[in-house]
Amino acid sequence: MDSKAFIRVDGLVKQYGPHRALDGVSFQVDEGHTLALLGPSGCGKTTMLRCIAGLETPDAGRIEIAGRVVFDAAQGINLPSEERQLGIVFQSYAVWPHMSVAENVGFPLRVRRVPKAEQQARVARMLEIVGLGAWAEKSATQLSGGQQQRVALARALIHEPRLVLFDEALSNLDAQLREQMRMELKILQDRLGFTAIYVTHDQAEAFGLAERLVVMNRGRVETEGGPRSVFHRPATPFVARFLGLNVLEGEMLGSEAGQAEIRLPQGMTLRGMLGDGTVPTRGSKVLACVRKEHVRFGAGLPAELRASSFLGLTEEYVLDLGGVELRAVQPPTGGAPGDRVQVAIRPEDCVVLPAG
Amino acid sequence: MSATGIGRGVAPARVEAPPAPRRFLGLQRALPAAGVIAGLLLVAGPLLAMLVRSLLVWDGEAARLSLANFTRVLSEPRVWEAVGNTALCGAGATLLSCALGFTLAWLVARTDMPGRRWLELGNLIPFFLSPYVGAISWIYLFAPGSGLLQQFAMRHLGLDLGFINIYSLGGVIWVLTLFYTPYVYLFVMSPLKQMDAALEDAARVHGAGFWYTLRHVSIPLVSPALLSGALVVFITSAGLFDVPLALALPSNIPTMPTEIFAAVQYPADFGRAAAFGMMVLGVTILLTMAQRRYLARRRYEVVTGKGYRPRLLPLGRGGRIAALTLEAVYIGGAVLLPMMALVMVSLSRLWTGSFDISRASLANFTYVLFSFRLTQQAILNSLTLAVTGATIGVALAVLQAYYLNRGTPSRRGLADALLSLPLGIPGIILGLGFLILAIRTPLYSTLTIVLIAYVARFFPFATRTISAMFLAINPELEQSARASGASWAQSMRWVLLPLLKPAVIAAWLMLFVIFIRELGATILLYAQGTETISVALVLLADRSAGYVAALAVVQLVLLLLAFTLFRLTRTTVTQS
Repeated sequence: MDSKAFIRVDGLVKQYGPHRALDGVSFQVDEGHTLALLGPSGCGKTTMLRCIAGLETPDAGRIEIAGRVVFDAAQGINLPSEERQLGIVFQSYAVWPHMSVAENVGFPLRVRRVPKAEQQARVARMLEIVGLGAWAEKSATQLSGGQQQRVALARALIHEPRLVLFDEALSNLDAQLREQMRMELKILQDRLGFTAIYVTHDQAEAFGLAERLVVMNRGRVETEGGPRSVFHRPATPFVARFLGLNVLEGEMLGSEAGQAEIRLPQGMTLRGMLGDGTVPTRGSKVLACVRKEHVRFGAGLPAELRASSFLGLTEEYVLDLGGVELRAVQPPTGGAPGDRVQVAIRPEDCVVLPAG
Repeated sequence: MSATGIGRGVAPARVEAPPAPRRFLGLQRALPAAGVIAGLLLVAGPLLAMLVRSLLVWDGEAARLSLANFTRVLSEPRVWEAVGNTALCGAGATLLSCALGFTLAWLVARTDMPGRRWLELGNLIPFFLSPYVGAISWIYLFAPGSGLLQQFAMRHLGLDLGFINIYSLGGVIWVLTLFYTPYVYLFVMSPLKQMDAALEDAARVHGAGFWYTLRHVSIPLVSPALLSGALVVFITSAGLFDVPLALALPSNIPTMPTEIFAAVQYPADFGRAAAFGMMVLGVTILLTMAQRRYLARRRYEVVTGKGYRPRLLPLGRGGRIAALTLEAVYIGGAVLLPMMALVMVSLSRLWTGSFDISRASLANFTYVLFSFRLTQQAILNSLTLAVTGATIGVALAVLQAYYLNRGTPSRRGLADALLSLPLGIPGIILGLGFLILAIRTPLYSTLTIVLIAYVARFFPFATRTISAMFLAINPELEQSARASGASWAQSMRWVLLPLLKPAVIAAWLMLFVIFIRELGATILLYAQGTETISVALVLLADRSAGYVAALAVVQLVLLLLAFTLFRLTRTTVTQS
């Protein structure tokens, strides 16, 4: 195990009646890093975050933050939320409507009995940082969504917690604001140096914010790694589908130097890179995962154009590849439904994984 | 090209005159407006009559305008004593029912208290019972010397509870608290249930403990609802005639409602009563306006819709025992013990303060139901009033709710304020207004005037309930019906009314319950032959405990029947 891990989650299980929300989740985060918990709704990522925050009590496993065990089912340790020294930003902002902006932001200091004068100074400084200096005395309900988000962020950071949790924190903002907040968050984190865990179902957000990704599915960790490796080499068919790749069924023909040759049901052959792990045996079922942007028009497999939708710089095409649907995103070519086309997929753009 | 083709095809249609622009209001606007106007007249009539009467003084045969009635009332020490006592009762009942109502709602909504599904319902039962009967039952339980509870405590626990006197302000406050707790409970229940749990979780994660979070986050967030509930409880409990009649009057403790009642008994002094009534009304209206202003500033959007449901707090063993004990005290004190006492007394031929099962008999019931003219007539009158009154009230409420939610926006605010006025007016005061209005007309001493007073005093309850349902119905649902070719009446009949049905049924049952037990207005308006169950209970109170208890049980059965139907329709009372 990595000794400098700042957060260590080990074999966490959370059961709701017959439903297993967390089914043995383990991961680690280094100090000052950002981890994104990514996955479709219901995969357990929010439950995971709430267990770290102490808002849910897991049924088994262990959580360690900054060298301190905050939860351990075996030893019966379960620190209440308020003793875990965290900051949290919720999707609904959870800005208290009966308090002013300054009171909201100052709350963690007030609870910790920081002297009044110091409280005021720190709140003022924090509000400057998040760009709400002029709003301190406003009622929190008078603010726009983006501003409330900043209040929630300032409140989560004011007491300088070493770990800050974000629960779909940007999902309620419109696209432009989200983009801007994402950048600001990165800058803030560089400046304040906190460790962050970021729950999201939006892959762009996860890639943009995190140094490390944990993709979850049905209460389990599906894959884990840096954004680039998760993006370029999807480890499982689930990850490939979740990231929006084409996933084609095929049969293994053979492999050579990490490159596999597979046969699609229609008899066409396709070459791709073998994913990490074991080499599938000849004749076994495999899946070929191809990013839409990597399905290019040009000499190769014959297909029929079914539909297209114009996206501006690119156009998304729905192709019929011998009865199988294939999607491509390419610069607009102006094809019409029914056109016969040919598509080419480079072996290095295609990841071959064992099926099932 | 195609346009001319079509034009040619339908050319004859063009000859027809275009439909005349509708100058007339049309049903769509006339009907709801009529409902609002009827409501306004029902409120304004008695109040204006009372205002005028309070300013009139008779010199022999000629009346003249004067403030003499007011100066006279204000100079009487007994009036000030009555006002002080009533304020004390109202404040005491408000504080206690806020504490009890909030705690019970919190236990049900936010903890893992065992049996909370049933208790959630059980806590509401007193809402449907009669406070007058409750007060009588508590006399059976705690009458000086002969109360069932005192005897029980003496015999089995060796405790002498003789120092507690039920005929006191304390007794009034106790019974009022039992009956008004469900009001607060209903007011705070939905914010407690629907509050975004992240608001509390954020406090916990950022370092606040459980009690700190409760005090600085949870309670402040519920406080607008709690304060609304508190004001409603204060105004209505202070104005309630039933409980002081049973518990304060026998000790000659003056209270506002009983003083107004006394003023119109023979020899009646209507000027004095009207002046007193006007002052009470002034205070009520001021309080209501203050509440409206306060709420307009502080209505939090606690419900964000994007949050998630609160977790249930594990109480632990000690907490569970404490919670269940509180529930037992409340439901026991408000429902079970009074019912038990009533049944015991009603089954005893002669009530002496102890129940002997071997001598139990149904004689009281036989007499009350089959032989006694007064009680038979009273039951018939109450049922007639409740059924017709609830029907008229609900019809009026549907029209008003339509106006308040779909009518001209600029006029809604004022209409809403005026139409909710009766919510705060004590029944005895509105009754007084109607008495003054009707005393020289053929309506006097008819069942009709009682019916009118009932509808006038209580239609806002129905309007509120139905209005709340309107908020959940998107106007586009009716607009789609209109766009599909339905007339306004058709869109009402096939789209809006079916959607409103749950609220309409709830409102009808609520009015039915209120009318079956109403006393404050009826006591001033009844005459021989138009007695209701509640009036008969008062009239018989001095004669026979057995008849009173038997009749009270009959009323109780009617009320519980309505409560059961209310539950079966699976709707919740919305009052805020």
